[in-house]
Amino acid sequence: MKPVAFDYERPRDLAGAVKLLAGSSGAAKVMAGGQSLGPMLNLRLAQPQLVIDVRGIGELHAVSDANGSIVLGSCITHAAIEDGVIQDVTRGLMREVAANIAYRAVRNRGTIGGSMCHADPAADWVSVLPLLSAAALIEGPRGRREVDVEHFVTGAFSTVLEENEILVGVRIPKLSAAARWGHYKFCRKPGEFAEAIAAVLVDPDRNVCRAVIGATHSAPHVIEDAHFIAEGFDSERVLATVMAAGVGDDPYERQIHHTALKRAALRLNA
Amino acid sequence: MTSVHSRSGKGVGASLRRKEDARYLTGRGQFVADIRRPGMLEVAFVRSPIAHARITAIHKPRGLEDRVWVMQDLVGVKPIRAVSGLKGFKASDLWPLAKDKVRHVGETIAMCVGATRAEAEDVAAQVIVDYEELPAVVDTVGARTHPPALVHDEWGDNVFLETLYDDELAHVRQSAAICVRRHIRTARQSMAPLEGRGVLCEWIERLAQLEMYSSAQMPHINRAGLSDCLGLDQAAIRVIAPDVGGAFGYKGILLTEEICLAWLAQHLKRPVRWIEDRREQLTANANCREHDYDITLYADRDGHLLAIDCEATVDSGAYSLYPFSACLEAAQVGSILPGPYKMERYRCRTWSVATNKPGILPYRGVARTGVCFALEVALDAVAREAGKEPYEVRLANLVQPHEMPYDNITKKHFDSGDYPEAVRRAVAALDVAKWRARQKTGEADGRRIGIGVSVYCEQAAHGTSVYYGWGIPMVPGHEQCWARLSPDGMLELRIGAHSHGQSLETTLAQVAHETLGIDPANVRLVHGDTALTPYSTGTWGSRCMVMSGGAVATACKDIALRVKHIAGHLLGASPDELQLRDGEVGLERSDKRMTLAEVAHTWYRQPQLLPPDVHTSGLETVVGYKAKVDTGTFSYACHAVAIAVDTEIGHVEILDYVIAEDGGTLINPMVVDGQIYGGAAQGIGTALYEEMPYDSEGQPLASTLADYLLPGATEMPPLRILHMETPSPYTEFGQKGIGEGGAIAPPAAIVNAVNDALADLGVELTETPVTPRRLLAATEAAKATRLA
Amino acid sequence: MNKKIQLTVNGKAVSAEVEPRLQLADFLREHLLLTGTHLGCEHGVCGACTIELDGAPARSCIAYAVTCDGADVRTIEGFDEDIVMAELREAFSAEHALQCGYCTPGMLITARDIVTRLPHADEARIRKELAGNLCRCTGYVGIVRAIQKVIAERTDGSSPRVESAVIGAVKPPSGHIEDKRQRSVQPDRNVYGRPASELNGEGAKSKPAIARPEGSHEATAATGMPKPIAGAPATGKQTTMHQSFSIDHPVAKVWEFFGRLDEVALCLPGTSLRGMRTDDHVDTRIRIKVGPIVAEFEGSADAVRDPSSHSGTIQGSARDARSSSTTRGEIRYALQDEKGGAATRVEVDVGFTLTGPLAQFSRSSIVQDIAKRMTAAFVQNLEARLNQTSTGPKAVRAKPAPAAELNAGSLVVSVLWNRIKGFLRSLLGR
Repeated sequence: MKPVAFDYERPRDLAGAVKLLAGSSGAAKVMAGGQSLGPMLNLRLAQPQLVIDVRGIGELHAVSDANGSIVLGSCITHAAIEDGVIQDVTRGLMREVAANIAYRAVRNRGTIGGSMCHADPAADWVSVLPLLSAAALIEGPRGRREVDVEHFVTGAFSTVLEENEILVGVRIPKLSAAARWGHYKFCRKPGEFAEAIAAVLVDPDRNVCRAVIGATHSAPHVIEDAHFIAEGFDSERVLATVMAAGVGDDPYERQIHHTALKRAALRLNA
Repeated sequence: MTSVHSRSGKGVGASLRRKEDARYLTGRGQFVADIRRPGMLEVAFVRSPIAHARITAIHKPRGLEDRVWVMQDLVGVKPIRAVSGLKGFKASDLWPLAKDKVRHVGETIAMCVGATRAEAEDVAAQVIVDYEELPAVVDTVGARTHPPALVHDEWGDNVFLETLYDDELAHVRQSAAICVRRHIRTARQSMAPLEGRGVLCEWIERLAQLEMYSSAQMPHINRAGLSDCLGLDQAAIRVIAPDVGGAFGYKGILLTEEICLAWLAQHLKRPVRWIEDRREQLTANANCREHDYDITLYADRDGHLLAIDCEATVDSGAYSLYPFSACLEAAQVGSILPGPYKMERYRCRTWSVATNKPGILPYRGVARTGVCFALEVALDAVAREAGKEPYEVRLANLVQPHEMPYDNITKKHFDSGDYPEAVRRAVAALDVAKWRARQKTGEADGRRIGIGVSVYCEQAAHGTSVYYGWGIPMVPGHEQCWARLSPDGMLELRIGAHSHGQSLETTLAQVAHETLGIDPANVRLVHGDTALTPYSTGTWGSRCMVMSGGAVATACKDIALRVKHIAGHLLGASPDELQLRDGEVGLERSDKRMTLAEVAHTWYRQPQLLPPDVHTSGLETVVGYKAKVDTGTFSYACHAVAIAVDTEIGHVEILDYVIAEDGGTLINPMVVDGQIYGGAAQGIGTALYEEMPYDSEGQPLASTLADYLLPGATEMPPLRILHMETPSPYTEFGQKGIGEGGAIAPPAAIVNAVNDALADLGVELTETPVTPRRLLAATEAAKATRLA
Repeated sequence: MNKKIQLTVNGKAVSAEVEPRLQLADFLREHLLLTGTHLGCEHGVCGACTIELDGAPARSCIAYAVTCDGADVRTIEGFDEDIVMAELREAFSAEHALQCGYCTPGMLITARDIVTRLPHADEARIRKELAGNLCRCTGYVGIVRAIQKVIAERTDGSSPRVESAVIGAVKPPSGHIEDKRQRSVQPDRNVYGRPASELNGEGAKSKPAIARPEGSHEATAATGMPKPIAGAPATGKQTTMHQSFSIDHPVAKVWEFFGRLDEVALCLPGTSLRGMRTDDHVDTRIRIKVGPIVAEFEGSADAVRDPSSHSGTIQGSARDARSSSTTRGEIRYALQDEKGGAATRVEVDVGFTLTGPLAQFSRSSIVQDIAKRMTAAFVQNLEARLNQTSTGPKAVRAKPAPAAELNAGSLVVSVLWNRIKGFLRSLLGR
């Protein structure tokens, strides 16, 4: 299992990367940590003509703190978040999420931006960042735009990114001191894909009570008003929500997603 | 035979550290993929993406025709044909490259070369094969009852072989107070050693000999098979198994790839190499374990077994593989199902069916894992009917120690052991009362507690009579050891079996130490090379410690006699009075002694000093060994487990796991524990994680290790091993084969515990693995039944 | 197309020209002959290829040599002078933490990372950190103990004695009777928090159904015998979906439309026509893009029609040359009068199979779901086109416009898709 031949470029700046992408007419693939793309290349499932390695772009490794939020460059690794090398403005949620992605050797290379762009419904950041009302910072030939993460993933393995755009980073609002969260991920083995992900966030100072159902078949399902989960678990309404998230037809999936939400809520109130 | 325990701390019974560790710890082991040859080409195969089809055309890519070979190109090469000697067996022809028809996904169709593996894969990707698709035979029982197609057109059905162990059951059926009937299945699995197969082949012009490095556990058998298919005499083939990264049965087979590469190396006069990748291992090459049982147990009111009636179907895949054939498992099922339990009547019909899946190989435990699962899960149902603790039903039915040696209902000859004691010890160590109390109280987190036991016996190192009876084309006879005390007093040993994790370099050195008093550090073992070692059927059936161990001991005794004879002459003592200890030979409490090196030096360099009647073969010998009774050793164990079941999400956590085991005399307890731990991990995989699913078209649905889940460190519970050591009366030191046992009992023990936890919900699982999906589905189904 | 790279491997400067597709592991093994790094899966799961890249463990199978320009790489061969590694090697041997030795180099590199990064890791943490390194021989017992041992020795502050030779050394005899080693703290292995089980309260006293077969064993169909639960999700290929809709046009017109195979074919998203095209045969190309995977199925479809019953069948097959995967599909349709001839009821059955590498992944829990959506999309396009055809000018016939190419996003339309998805999410949920 060796990849088909591909060309390789490692641009030094965003403009260079965008230019390469624009000139590739869809046959190029951006690679950051390569932990998702690598297996697909090896299995010959992905056969791009050009791989654009964006790890050489300084801006993608930057962290900046501004206006009640923090911006993480796309190439920040899961391990850096897990280890607290990056300031955690989510009262431990992001550290917990990062620490449970795949395996350490993968977390050392895998990046938050790469994971978002890969848009795997079962991926952790894809599921949890919408809970935090994060935003995606996108660079393209026409400059920069910002999209709510909630709308960044449009479906499984599909995002709002145009073929010549690059995700520069994610903006994460800071939680207030009174904020509480509960997160639950069910997988058959540590490091395996999640069968269900649920997370609940209550931040009264910012008037937030949100929940998310992740590891769906498509984009994660955000519950804007999650009081029926956070305050007295309303099992019937949760069931309806699970159905609405598109994971309720199969009894097994219905059960595990329902349970995941229940346990996330329990942890919230622990 | 009394149990032998070394007093030196280095012989039998010592947890000697392994001699083989150093090279692996420094990354200097040498596996097939680590070997390169100048001018070597890499091979990739075109494999069938379809389970069942006629090949209508194969198009080689234009301009690359000289880098692609199909079956027609391999002139004179014969198919692999593994024929069982049992009556009624239908043979299959497995062509090294598919000829007219493909019968499973992954079957080799064309062979392609490149300077690198990537280039070889580039060529393979350009080969186009035209197919006429046929319905796929996928369902195990359906393959014989409602065949959608014939895997082998000329057979008329899809049955390799049917066997029957018949008995009259009418009376029992009428009189039995308890009758439980269950449909029990074990999933198809992949053995998944960490290293896959790999072959490097080179034609050595000087010797007119084909030299093959292969990641194999039975190199001599591979040579025999290669000779059959290639038409070369056996001496023209040398097979070398270098370091091998785990096997578990997976590497006990002659591969189509081996034949292809052998032909190619000879044809191209260039070294060629093929390294199996994980995708090939999972989707294309041999699987194991897929059994289906319709089993009925008859018992009296107290749970005493009266009879077993069973119909078992083993899914043997598309081809009979060499050398174990398609029928080893089913034939075993019929003869080993009753195991160590006593009963009046026994009837068992078995089928080995052909399907459009890869052929099967005997995986660690072979048929025993399935048999143990079927019987032990059904026995728990008997216990529930009888209102008894499951372990009580075992105690009521097991063979008693005073009955040893014991011939059971299928005439299996049990050599020794105290089976009830193993159960008692396991149950005591687990503390059943404690868990029952906790079960009653209930868990704070809502999970349900369950406990389960299972008992098995592992017939190992079984020899000529047994294998002849099973119809296997390879029947083992005497196992040989070549031994030489070299001029510097080092001992060289050569055996035809092979070690790929079993630690033979260490344990056989301990055996030599026991017999010859030589420091294990001064013993060197050569194995896995047909040119250097005596013929052997290889490593399988937990036989090495009994057979190779016996051969080494016998050879060393031979050497010892000759050493004493020479030393007696040189020391002026009677050879009978001499002792061998600490690398010396001499009289106890006397300065009349000399080193083995001095004796050896005399034989090789100063023959003028030798006694006139010295043995003319000197300090070099080849000796064969066969156990006094060759029906095998019976090691056994009781596994007892406590688990917690999370019925909301379907997860099973193992809280405590006890193994009370009797492997006879332990040569190296540390190594024995390692084998049991490793086997148990695989058994836990069978119970809870591992499954090679096929869809209705015969497409394998697990092609990566993210689909096929192997247990990791987090899936392994703390394991507690309790040893009993009842020596076998038939082996050199009383040792028994123990390599497979760990993998046999866990599925039964764990599923019994799950059923124990869920019994009051009306849930009973009878299929492996117990995945969250299966568990929740069963819980839901039981709930629906209760409500209805 | 080769690229020049310069990097440090085990402390030595190395420069080379490499193909971009060359895995770092193959570069180390085949070019530098550092064969201690083993390949076990080549998709990042097993951990046998774990090396140290810029000071931290990484998979060398899914890293490419070209991406390591300027990097510092350390393989198992580069730790001969390392004290921590020496302690681990000693402990691995003492605790019998290796059998076949194949996973050992990767295992040691991960173990060293645990010991140095998490100097107080307990058993549970050690096990979790080892999740990305598979061992098939040892059951991890010796591995976990060895790491615990090294951690304990290092936290004791006592500088552990490292024996240079592991050969022939004797393990203390105490170990084998029973595991006396107490796990200092039995870790809370319940990873689920505190579920207040609802099911627990429903412990009705019911027993498993137990069948007593009457008569002979052959009566396998005896009812009540507990059957294995069909646990795997329905993987039945030949997934068939039924859809029914009504359209306000008479049967004759709709029947006429179904006679134009090219137009019907184009209702499948991503389909374009190529080569031959008659009313009962078309050559097609279906392009599907799913994340980084692009599949282009080329094949043909043939139609068989029965005017007497106003029903017909379209059968097609196609192959994606890149992945050697093939798909077969069948569309059956039947038309019936409705509203006294003013409208037509259209019954459509769509079935698919997929074979080859793209099909060979498990956990396709959404087969039915996806197939439904695919059929829905097809039917939607069919309806739209029927209306267009029925009402619009004949010109449509001459130049049928293909349905928008599928770029798995807003609408996910392929059966292969769910297989790929199962794989991707399992492997790459990172």
